Amino acid sequence: MKRCCLLILMSIFLCCNPVTAKTPKHILVMAAQIDDMISLDPAEIFEFSGAEYAANTYDRLIGYDVDNVAEIFGVLAESWTVADDGMTFTFKIRQGVTFASGNPMTAEDVAFSLQRVILLDKSPAFIISQFGFTPENVKEKIKAVDAETLVFTTDKPYAPTFVLYCLTATPASVVDKKLVLSHEQDGDLGYNWLKTNYAGSGSFTLKTWKPAELLMLDANQKYWDGVPAMRRVIMRQVSEAATQQLLLEKGDVDIARDLGADQLDSLKDNPDVKLHPKPKGGIWYLGLNQKNEALSKPKVREALKYLVDYQQMADTLLRGTMIVHQAFLPMGFLGALEDKPYALDVEKAKQLLAEAGYGDGLTLTMATRNTSPTMDMAQAIQATFAKAGVTVEILPMDGKQALTKYRARNHDIYIGKWGPDYQDPHTNASTFAWNRDNSDEAKSKPLAWRNAWDIPEMSEATDAAVTERDPEKRAAMYQAIQREHQQVSPFVIMFQEIEVAAERTDVKGFILGPSFDSNFYYNVTK
Amino acid sequence: MANNEYPQQEQTVDGLRQWLLTTTPCSRLQARAGRSYIAWLSFTRNRLAVIGLGIITLLVLTAVLAPLIAPYHPNVPDLEQRLQTMSMEHWLGTDQLGRDILSRILYGSRLTLYVVVLVAIIAAPLGLVVGTVAGYSGGLVDSVLMRITDIFLAFPKLILALAFVAALGPGIENAIIAIAITSWPPYARIARAETITLRNSDFIVAARLQGAGHIRLIVHHIIPLCLSSVIVRVTLDMAGIILTAAGLGFLGLGAQPPLPEWGAMIAGGRQFLLDQWWVATLPGIAIFIVSLGFNLLGDGLRDVLDPRSGGK
Repeated sequence: MKRCCLLILMSIFLCCNPVTAKTPKHILVMAAQIDDMISLDPAEIFEFSGAEYAANTYDRLIGYDVDNVAEIFGVLAESWTVADDGMTFTFKIRQGVTFASGNPMTAEDVAFSLQRVILLDKSPAFIISQFGFTPENVKEKIKAVDAETLVFTTDKPYAPTFVLYCLTATPASVVDKKLVLSHEQDGDLGYNWLKTNYAGSGSFTLKTWKPAELLMLDANQKYWDGVPAMRRVIMRQVSEAATQQLLLEKGDVDIARDLGADQLDSLKDNPDVKLHPKPKGGIWYLGLNQKNEALSKPKVREALKYLVDYQQMADTLLRGTMIVHQAFLPMGFLGALEDKPYALDVEKAKQLLAEAGYGDGLTLTMATRNTSPTMDMAQAIQATFAKAGVTVEILPMDGKQALTKYRARNHDIYIGKWGPDYQDPHTNASTFAWNRDNSDEAKSKPLAWRNAWDIPEMSEATDAAVTERDPEKRAAMYQAIQREHQQVSPFVIMFQEIEVAAERTDVKGFILGPSFDSNFYYNVTK
Repeated sequence: MANNEYPQQEQTVDGLRQWLLTTTPCSRLQARAGRSYIAWLSFTRNRLAVIGLGIITLLVLTAVLAPLIAPYHPNVPDLEQRLQTMSMEHWLGTDQLGRDILSRILYGSRLTLYVVVLVAIIAAPLGLVVGTVAGYSGGLVDSVLMRITDIFLAFPKLILALAFVAALGPGIENAIIAIAITSWPPYARIARAETITLRNSDFIVAARLQGAGHIRLIVHHIIPLCLSSVIVRVTLDMAGIILTAAGLGFLGLGAQPPLPEWGAMIAGGRQFLLDQWWVATLPGIAIFIVSLGFNLLGDGLRDVLDPRSGGK
């Protein structure tokens, strides 16, 4: 009987004091989709969450202001000079920086890190190698003259900002040469070790990584620019957006990273949560394969551009997460074009289709990643295309399958997102408006190639723009390319992405940058 | 006159019942009709089975009449109307693209029925033939056929179906083929077991003495006797087939958008579960009810058709 009373008392007590699962004061917990991360080696990382990891755990030579990307400043480089020939960049390396391992950081480490990217030649290597570096010449062209001086020599003069922006990208992260080489096996430059380990000098260090499950970072107690307030940052893999929302509302996580428009809507009035939006460089587009006879007709391409209800999709399905944008350079980039010449116009599209000989309609397939919001966007587009007699058959598949089909040029229409690799306009121009070799065996395969779009003249213009050293002239060149691109290209560019992090109100200082490798945790307090 | 008609009609009904229930039928037709009537009586005695039958009848009616009773087009999005709650205009609300959920569920019943019927038509005869041939022939043929069956049984059904769909490409036809390929082995096993008990019966031997060939024996003597247990099993499996089809649809490998397949509807609605519960829940309830219907019907049929209960 006594025990019974005690039980009842205890349950009353428990009812009155609901268990609150608050995250600890000095630990930041995030719910995110980190299952795309396949490597922790900065020379190999080419995924969204991998890039964010590298941004927080490694330092690069230079960085840019996330609110004004034109503002470039030194991080591990204290200063730099560009020689008059426009080809020789000399960096003065910051002294007194140590890696998390305790080794001092010197120009030798920087040179090794950049050389390593070229020698390993993984997916992102082109960001550095496009300046004419090859495994044979890189040791000559990127060289540490002494402990504080690095000389970087390109093969021809480029716009200096283009070179500098490339050095803010993930593959330019500086690794600890001594530590990496101590784990070298059979001349792999420590690749097999670094794939799952850490050798950097960033504000956080790697504690644990369980692929597709958990990423745990600890504050770097030796960080040269001040130790972060958060002792630990934990990223939990939570695939379902609805689950992320629930965890955030209950206070089990401090930040939810992948909420959709509708979840964000329902959080708007929650006093415990604030929304933190940031326009990103991600561009959503339809790729129209020029190998398809119908799509290769300019009038059909133009008609399809009139058959997407851009504004309505942005206002309903995607509200708050995307804005209408119809040129290949995202807003915030040098030379970005804000013209929006297209809106839903079924009559005009019908007329264009009839002129092209498809007045009776036509049937196309669309390779679609079977996740939200791609799937919903595809269905909305399917419905507006149908109004002019264009039947779209949606082929849902997982992301990898869709990409494989796209890269093999087997699609009719591909719906997807393109994220810039670095902050210079060339990153998008070189993929949307550059295709030198349209054969199936081509060595470089930009998006224009994937859609079999043969554009010798536009490629010429793109190449000219990247070597123009006057920023104003350069911007005008890109705008001219984009205007033509909007008219003739097989790309229906639709939206620019806005990343929204939903944060508990006590979280402050979380930095979302314009790119996926410029989201930073070092300022976070709560 | 009117007064006279009523008892007369009752008399006819009574007469029909007597004609059906007589212990001394005068023709084959009468005997067969009588057996069916007795089976029907024992079936209707099972309330749950009748409910199951009612659900399935309703499903068939819905599927046939969908275009007449659905208030909206099931596939045309109306983004202005998205995620509406239940109201007079949209009885069951709208989904993430503003399509009426009631209309989609009604049209979805066609797909469900399509899948179930086609799978049954493909898988049951296949299993039946493999099982009876294996059981009747014995020896090497039996071993080979049964080992093939074993291979198919060795994998979980959904996983194997996933593999087939991945190989064939997504689409409702391919999903049906994949489900059919993976669901015949149990029927083969049942048919084989029944065949082995029948193989050496006197009536088979008698038929053989009269000169009946193997094919005739299998088709005319063995298969009809295996049929009842296979039918029961198929009916009980229907729920599983619906769930597998819904599972494939959920994973994006079944019916292609914008088709209103119930599993795909759940997949589309799951991200709204917290705030717009009806988007995912209502098609889930539809799947639940139809699966339950098939299960109840199957249970009832088993009671009727099981030879051991002997038509009592």
